[in-house]
Amino acid sequence: MRFRSFSIATLALAVTTSFAAPSATREEIVGRLQGQLGGVPVSEYALGAAAFDTDLRDQVQQNAGAGDAAVAAGKALWTTRFKDGRSLSGCFPNGGKRIAATYPQYDSKLKRVITLELAVNQCLKSHNEAVYDPTDPATMGAVMAYLRSLADGRKVAVRVPAAAEDKFEQGRRLYFSRMGQRNYACASCHLQGAGKRYGEVPLSPAVGQATHWPVIRADKPVTLQARIRECLEIMGAAPFPAASEELNHLEYFLTYLSNDLPLKSNPWRGW
Amino acid sequence: MIRCTFLLPLAAALALSPAFAQSPKAAPEVFTAPDKGNCIACHQVPEGAGPRTRADLGPALDGTRMRSLGRTRLREIIEDPTRANPETVMPPFGRHRILAKAEIDRLVEYLHALP
Repeated sequence: MRFRSFSIATLALAVTTSFAAPSATREEIVGRLQGQLGGVPVSEYALGAAAFDTDLRDQVQQNAGAGDAAVAAGKALWTTRFKDGRSLSGCFPNGGKRIAATYPQYDSKLKRVITLELAVNQCLKSHNEAVYDPTDPATMGAVMAYLRSLADGRKVAVRVPAAAEDKFEQGRRLYFSRMGQRNYACASCHLQGAGKRYGEVPLSPAVGQATHWPVIRADKPVTLQARIRECLEIMGAAPFPAASEELNHLEYFLTYLSNDLPLKSNPWRGW
Repeated sequence: MIRCTFLLPLAAALALSPAFAQSPKAAPEVFTAPDKGNCIACHQVPEGAGPRTRADLGPALDGTRMRSLGRTRLREIIEDPTRANPETVMPPFGRHRILAKAEIDRLVEYLHALP
């Protein structure tokens, strides 16, 4: 646990680019990736590492049903009646169909970024139900798998209103900040090194990274935030707490970068 | 230290000999272990000098290039590559105490002896 001493307090200062509008930031990053990854269309960035490796792409296709059990478990939780007779399904428009592609959202009353996981827990709380542990694959992971399946193929459509630009900017800064004992930034691998191989596996590009969560690894759903926490451990940094503002802002930034790309629910991951 | 002092010239001589170049040492744990250098995650090494991978986040390493850099420069790069290149992805293994001095020495010798 050597990395504990290299926690948030040692964050390198963010890469000093000026505070740009989210749309300009996205354009710049898409343009940079296109320059680096010329042979791969932007639409395929949604495949993550598999966009750069035909064997991985085949493996994902061969395991297309990997998320079925998690989706079924999530559906059961989604429709289970609360003590007051309502259900998670009743908290969301259209019973939750298609909503996953629009999260995270900025809540102007709460002045905070609401991820889909947070929205689910808000619903549970408002009905006096125990909230889910955001790291628990059996509850939150399963519900995410189900909700994402209801938006499969929808284009990611996350909005960043003017009032939320500082949250987006905080996410962007974190993405570009070198952290931990290994001194990596998220951008070191997923922008600077996108498409190159770390070990045997190509590094997924920043654009498209948020389209395919949860992934199904060893039959369990792994959410984007859970994966970011794993990455932080690899970086030798103390991971931000689950559902923390830091992770929420990172997810907000990353998901906005994936706007207009198709959401791919519950892909298998064997790496 | 005395032992190292005597061994280093010998290692250098061996590293420069064509015969040695054809029979490289196995990659040390400090080069391959995920909780050590984990260099193998980013760099490829010549056949026979370590595990074969397709890693290419960092440049492929070969003995000619390593010996042209020399041990002092190799040690500096491993200690803190951001001094020469602030944009590099490579971790500062010495500055951030990922590796101890003796481990960096082992790494330098391995790289210097690559075919």
